Amino acid sequence: MTTTRRDILLGGTALGLAVAGGIPARAATDLKGKTVVFASWGGAYQDAEKQCYCEPFAAATGATVVQDGPMNAAKFRAMIAGGAPDWDVADITIDFLYAGIGDKLFEKIDTRLVHTDRLSPQFVNEYGIGCIVWSYNLGYSTKAFQPGSQPRNWADLFDLKRFPGKRALGDNVVATLEVALLADGVTPEKLYPLDVDRALKKLDTIRSETIFWSTNSQSQQLFVDGEIALGLILNGRAYDAAKKGAPIAISWEQNIQSIDYLAVPAGSRNRDAAMLLIDTMTEADNQAKLANLIAYSPTNPAAFKSIDPKVEPWLSTAPANVKQGFVINAAYWRDHLKPLQERWAMWKLS
Amino acid sequence: MKRIDHRIWLLVPPLLLLLVAFIGPVTWLLSRAFTQPAPGFGNFVELWEHPVYLRVIWNTLLISAITTPVCVAVGFPVAHAMTYANARTRRWLIFLVLLPFWTSLLVRTFATVILLQRNGPLNAMLLGMGIIGQPLPLLYNMTGLLIGAVQVLLPFVIFPLHASMMKIEPAYMQAALTLGADPLRAFFRVYLPLTLPGLMTGATLVFISVLGYFVTPAMLGGVRQLMVAQLIQDQIGQFGNWGIAGALSLILLLATAVLLGLLHATVGLKAVAR
Repeated sequence: MTTTRRDILLGGTALGLAVAGGIPARAATDLKGKTVVFASWGGAYQDAEKQCYCEPFAAATGATVVQDGPMNAAKFRAMIAGGAPDWDVADITIDFLYAGIGDKLFEKIDTRLVHTDRLSPQFVNEYGIGCIVWSYNLGYSTKAFQPGSQPRNWADLFDLKRFPGKRALGDNVVATLEVALLADGVTPEKLYPLDVDRALKKLDTIRSETIFWSTNSQSQQLFVDGEIALGLILNGRAYDAAKKGAPIAISWEQNIQSIDYLAVPAGSRNRDAAMLLIDTMTEADNQAKLANLIAYSPTNPAAFKSIDPKVEPWLSTAPANVKQGFVINAAYWRDHLKPLQERWAMWKLS
Repeated sequence: MKRIDHRIWLLVPPLLLLLVAFIGPVTWLLSRAFTQPAPGFGNFVELWEHPVYLRVIWNTLLISAITTPVCVAVGFPVAHAMTYANARTRRWLIFLVLLPFWTSLLVRTFATVILLQRNGPLNAMLLGMGIIGQPLPLLYNMTGLLIGAVQVLLPFVIFPLHASMMKIEPAYMQAALTLGADPLRAFFRVYLPLTLPGLMTGATLVFISVLGYFVTPAMLGGVRQLMVAQLIQDQIGQFGNWGIAGALSLILLLATAVLLGLLHATVGLKAVAR
C-alpha cells in the first residue's frame, strides 16, 4: 500500500519539477542534496512532526529536512520582506494563514504535488493544508461536579447559580466572543458577524468570577491546582492534564475548532520539495502516528483507523466530536481582529 | 593645551556595542513611527483616534507609579539593616537580596503563582491560623502583580539606597537628636533627604523596569493590568504593524522622560546639590 502511494507521490515530483521549474525530469526519488527547512513551534509537537512527517519524507526522497523555529509571525514576515525566506515549510496558525494570504506571504498549494483530496475539505485552504485540528472546549473539574450535575455547554459556563465557583476564559478576544454568544443562545450558523455588544454584555455577567488565562499552560495549571471549577480550555491541554492525573473532563458540545496549517513561505527556493513534504503529512498513517504521540487531531479521516481508542475521545476530529463543533470563521477574524482587539482591551480596562 | 586623557579610548568598545545593539535598533523602530505604512504622522493620528492606546499607556504609567513607592517602602528597611549590620550579617543580607537574580524570571514567577494561589501555602496558612475565613484573592489582580514585581525589583532599590546610606555620617543624626529633634523629625528632616540620591536612582530604575513589563502582568495580573508591552507585541506579532508599535514606544519613551525629568527637577537634583 505504501509503495503505491509513494509511486503516485514520486510521479508527482517528477511532473512538478519538470513543469514548475523547467528543470528536466530527473530520476523520481532524486531529491538528494535538496534541503528543506521546516519551522514549527518546538517542544513535543515539533518532535512529533519531525518523527511523523519529516523523517518519512526524508527516507522516501533522500532530501534532508532541517528543523528550525520557533515559528513567529513577525519573523516570518521579516523573512519575506527580506526577499529570500530561510524556511520552506512552516507550521502556522489559522489567523496567520488568513492574515498572510492578504499580504501574499505564501506560495499557492500545488495540488499536483499535494493530495488535498485525502483530507476533510473544511481543513484545506488554497494556501495552506491543515495538519492538525484543535478545539476550544468547556472543561470542568470532576471533583467539583459529579456525574449528573456536570456542565454541558457554554450556557452552563455562564450560569453562576447552578455552577458556582471561579471559572476561566482566555484573555483573547478570539473565541471568547463566540463562547459568550453561544451561551446567550445564538446558534453557530448565526454567529457571524459577531454581535460584539451582546457578547461583552454577556461577559459582564461573570466577569467578577472569571480568571482570564494568558497562556495555555496557565489554563491547564488552573485546573491542576483546583483554582477553577470549570472553564474554557483547549482539548489537547485537557488531555494532558487528565493524563497527569488532574480531575478534569471536557464537553464536546459546541466545540470551536481551529486548525494549524503547513504553508510554504512566498519565494521559497525549494517550493516543490516543500510541497512534497506537505504531501507526506497528508498520509493517514503519518497523521495517526502523530495523534497517538501527542493527541492532536488529524485532518485525514482515514487516520482514525489506527488511532489509539484511549486517545480518540479527546480528539476534535473524532467522528463523535467533529460533528458537535464548527470551525472558527478565520476570514471574519482576519477582517475584524484589530478593531475587536481594541474593543477587548477597552472592555478589560473598564 | 590640555592633553587628551588616553583612558577615554576605553569607552570605545562599550559605545560601539551600545550603538550597534541598542541605539541602532531603537532608532530604527522609533523611526518606523514616521515612515510606516506611509510617511507622516498617520500612526499618531491613529493612536489619538483609538482611545484604547492612550488608556493603556496611562494604565502602564499608573501601574509603574504604584509599584515604585511600594518597592521603596519595602526596600528601605532592608537597605538600612544592611548598612548598620555587622560585616557578617551584611554579607548574608546582600546574598539574600541577590539570590533572586540568579533564578530565571519565569521560574520565579511560577513560584509566586504556586505560593499565592487559592489553595497555595500562604492561603492555607492564613486559613489554618483562623486569620481569614475565605482564601484571599492574591493572584490575577493588582495584588498579584505588585507582589511579583516588587520581589523581582527590590535589589534595584536596595543597592543604591545602601550605597547612599553608607555615606551618611552617623554624627548627623546624633546632632539632630541632641539639638532637640524627636527621632521621627530627625529621620524625615535629616536622614531621609540624605538618602535621596540613592532613593531616586532606585525608584527610577524600578519605574522604568515596570513600564516594559510583559511576563509578570500576563502571569500574575488580571485583565485590568493590561500594559503597553502587550499591545506592542500584538501590533508587531499579529499585524506586522511596526509603525504603530514604534509610535507607542515613542510616546511611552517621551512620557517617561517628561515624568522623570519633572521628578528629578523637583526632588532629585535638589538632593544631589545638597
